[in-house]
Amino acid sequence: MTATGLRVDIDGLSLRYGSAQVLAGVDLHIAPGERLCLVGPNGAGKSSLLRCLTGLAEPSEGTVRLDGVPLAEIERSALARTISVVPSQVELPFSMPVEDVVLLGRIPHENPFTGQSDEDHRAADVAIRRVGIEKLRGRDVRQLSMGERQLVLVAMAVAQGGRLIVLDEPTVHLDLRHQVEVLQLIERLADVGLTVLAVLHDLPLAAHFFPRLAMLDEGRLVADGAPADVLSPDRIRDVYEVDPRFVPSLAWNGSP
Amino acid sequence: MNARTIGRALGRPARGFLVALLSTLLVLSLGLAPVLGSDEAFPLTVVDDEGTEVTIEAMPERIISLAPSTTETIFALGAGDRLVGGTDYDDYPPEAGALTDVATYTGVIMEQIVALEPDLVLAAGNHFTPPDDIARMRELGHTVMVLYAPDVESVMADIELIGSSIGAAEEAGAMTAELTAQMDAVSEAAAAAESTPSVFYELGAEPEIYAPAPDSFLADMIVRAGGEPVTTTDPALWSIPLEELLVADPEVIVLGDANYGTCPDAVGARPGWDGMTAVVNGDVRPVDDVPITRPGPRLAQGLASLARAIHPELELTGFPADPPMCEAA
Amino acid sequence: MTSTDLAQGRAQVHHGSLEALRRRPVVLGLLGLLTLSVAIVAGVALGTVAVPVAETVAILAARLGVPLEQSWADTSETIVLTLRLPRVLTALVVGLGLSVAGVTFQGLLRNPLADPYVLGTASGAALGAAIGVLLPIQIAWLGLGLVNILAFVGALAAVTVVYRIAGGGGRSTMTSILLTGYAVGSMLAAGLALAMYLSGSQLRQIFYYLLGSLSGADWQSLALGLPIIAVGSLLILARARSLNGLLLGDETALHLGVDVRRERVVLLALASLVTAAAVALAGLIGFIGLVIPHIVRLVVGPNARLVLPLSAIWGAAFLVVADLVARLVGELPVGIITAVIGAPIFVMLLRRYRTAYQL
Repeated sequence: MTATGLRVDIDGLSLRYGSAQVLAGVDLHIAPGERLCLVGPNGAGKSSLLRCLTGLAEPSEGTVRLDGVPLAEIERSALARTISVVPSQVELPFSMPVEDVVLLGRIPHENPFTGQSDEDHRAADVAIRRVGIEKLRGRDVRQLSMGERQLVLVAMAVAQGGRLIVLDEPTVHLDLRHQVEVLQLIERLADVGLTVLAVLHDLPLAAHFFPRLAMLDEGRLVADGAPADVLSPDRIRDVYEVDPRFVPSLAWNGSP
Repeated sequence: MNARTIGRALGRPARGFLVALLSTLLVLSLGLAPVLGSDEAFPLTVVDDEGTEVTIEAMPERIISLAPSTTETIFALGAGDRLVGGTDYDDYPPEAGALTDVATYTGVIMEQIVALEPDLVLAAGNHFTPPDDIARMRELGHTVMVLYAPDVESVMADIELIGSSIGAAEEAGAMTAELTAQMDAVSEAAAAAESTPSVFYELGAEPEIYAPAPDSFLADMIVRAGGEPVTTTDPALWSIPLEELLVADPEVIVLGDANYGTCPDAVGARPGWDGMTAVVNGDVRPVDDVPITRPGPRLAQGLASLARAIHPELELTGFPADPPMCEAA
Repeated sequence: MTSTDLAQGRAQVHHGSLEALRRRPVVLGLLGLLTLSVAIVAGVALGTVAVPVAETVAILAARLGVPLEQSWADTSETIVLTLRLPRVLTALVVGLGLSVAGVTFQGLLRNPLADPYVLGTASGAALGAAIGVLLPIQIAWLGLGLVNILAFVGALAAVTVVYRIAGGGGRSTMTSILLTGYAVGSMLAAGLALAMYLSGSQLRQIFYYLLGSLSGADWQSLALGLPIIAVGSLLILARARSLNGLLLGDETALHLGVDVRRERVVLLALASLVTAAAVALAGLIGFIGLVIPHIVRLVVGPNARLVLPLSAIWGAAFLVVADLVARLVGELPVGIITAVIGAPIFVMLLRRYRTAYQL
């Protein structure tokens, strides 16, 4: 169930949609077990970077390697067993109990003909326990609060068993308490050695929960390192074009 | 040896008796020939109204009729006892209602047909009996004849076709001869009337106005009844816009939908109709549409009713009086 | 992690027998098969003409090779073997196909109100059938009439047109396909209305096709339709994993390793093929493809691996029963019966178990 995290090497990644240069020459290296958060204004390319990483978008230039293997050489279902993506809020068309949603995470592992094995059920049970949503068993996901639903989606990603967990804005629409709950959970999960890559728009929370931040601006990686260094007043002014006093993260002094 | 020798040998009373016996037998066989002798007509191959060759092996004893007109014809030919199945809207003669229903508005009840083991099925053309059902019955091995009469002459031909196919050819011939004579008599009387008015035969007025199509059976009947039919513009079209009807301005309106509750006073109340010549003159008359439109043995009676509706002054003897319709309750 | 953890984790609190059923899809399946078997026997034994049940069984047994002295009338044999048996089996196959197609379309379109006809298949089939009725050509190809053939072709043509117009799986979302289906369906319906207006005495035939009817069922059509529906349904079942993956949306499905573009095309094609065969056999029987999947889902949840086979069984049983009722009531078009029986059941289930997932 536990494994060492994935190593991610992104070199010279560029992505163009038509005439728009969405990413330009991004170099990013994530060690196994590291926790990294991408920050930057809207349209900076954070989500696009994630899409390139998870195989949803094909880069115009550059390479992505997972544990040294180029992404292009990894087959889709193998990729799904390697990277777990936590969706940010989904619309379920039908009522579905929590444990069945968590089991969806086992799809990359399932045999298409024989269906879910005991191991799949075990993995789901473990995921539910680790995420701490035992009390939600049997409930219809559509009836849960947004915070509870997000936890279920995290459990699904955990059940998926990837060695890299990717979270694209997992705290959108959540109130503060649930935001903190989700981020604390992610900390705990990563404790077993999984690599975590998240995108957050909330700078103070990102600075508190992630020892390393990478800031993107207009497709370029403009900063990469400890929060205190990345979220310097000058950079805030440059990239976000706001007065740095509006960003209270500096009060943290970068200490997690 | 000859009859004379035998007769002389038997003695005078015996001779007389023999002569009487032989003569009786001769007369009897001549008289019975039309009923029994038709056995020699089978096996018979006829061509039905769809052009299909149908072979009838032996005189049919278990006949199924899939149209009320056919049922009427068979009863009129004296073969009603050989009918084993009819439709659920067979209403004449009254005995027809007792027949086992093998067809409804939806179509043919195939199981019932099979269970009755008919040796002849008389279906109705022009999609009245669904073509798929006709094909299915033939597939199941039944002898099926399809009948369809688009005009008055064809009705006579169909009566004769039915007659031959059930071994009642002579009766059928007699019937058509009589019907033709009766109808000719009606037409002559009608032609002798003062005028040939324009006639709108109303088949229905909701949701659209329905009138006979040109060259249709009804148009034919109206002409024979001494009228000038107001028709729709196309043989495939049965509805007529009100404006067209107003332009045609019929002199007589015959309510063919009287059986469904439409009566003359209602006509005048319809918006736009009160100016029509027929309405103004009160020449709106209800009829029982069944004998007029059913291609069967009551056609002459129907023609007479129609003629009377068009020319109320006509005295047509030899026909039953029309039942009163739309009398105030 | 101990076994007690697991046991605790698996413990459920059940309320009512339906809740219990939820966790025992096998029970639902066996119940369905039992219902189906009874329905088949009843469907073959009962009808406008009374054939004693013992005779029916004897006729069927003899046909299957059991050496029996013929103690029944030839007409009984014709009724049972040539008229009723193909009809009951056609009802089974069509009910099965429509349910499976319904599950698939609802999963693909992620829309609980989808049914097999949603992408214009109904209108295409109806227009094809109307043209088949109106054309003065008598074709029998492998025992199929022109109406069946053109209905099948019409259904497939409509879906293909919809798919092409909507952008063919490239950047098209299922929503755009759904909307295009509605638009194309409306156009085809206009064509159908015109055909009906011009049809004159053949209107009744077209009308009964629209209501759905099994009265024309025979062995030749069944022999062609059954393989298409059976194989199509099995192929869909083999892809249940993809249908499940699509539950949370295209992106999540991709992350779960589902080749969304390919699976969508394949599932769409298979479900359309099954639907086209079903409408070619029996006309537009409504309600089954929409409701049976829902009822099954209410009991066992949306896992396609359960919903597909269970919907197939119950859809088949339902249509066999509905056709029997239609025959006994007076040869009504079976589409009327499916609506009349099915709608109240659906409403009742929804009302009672709307809150099934709340503690």
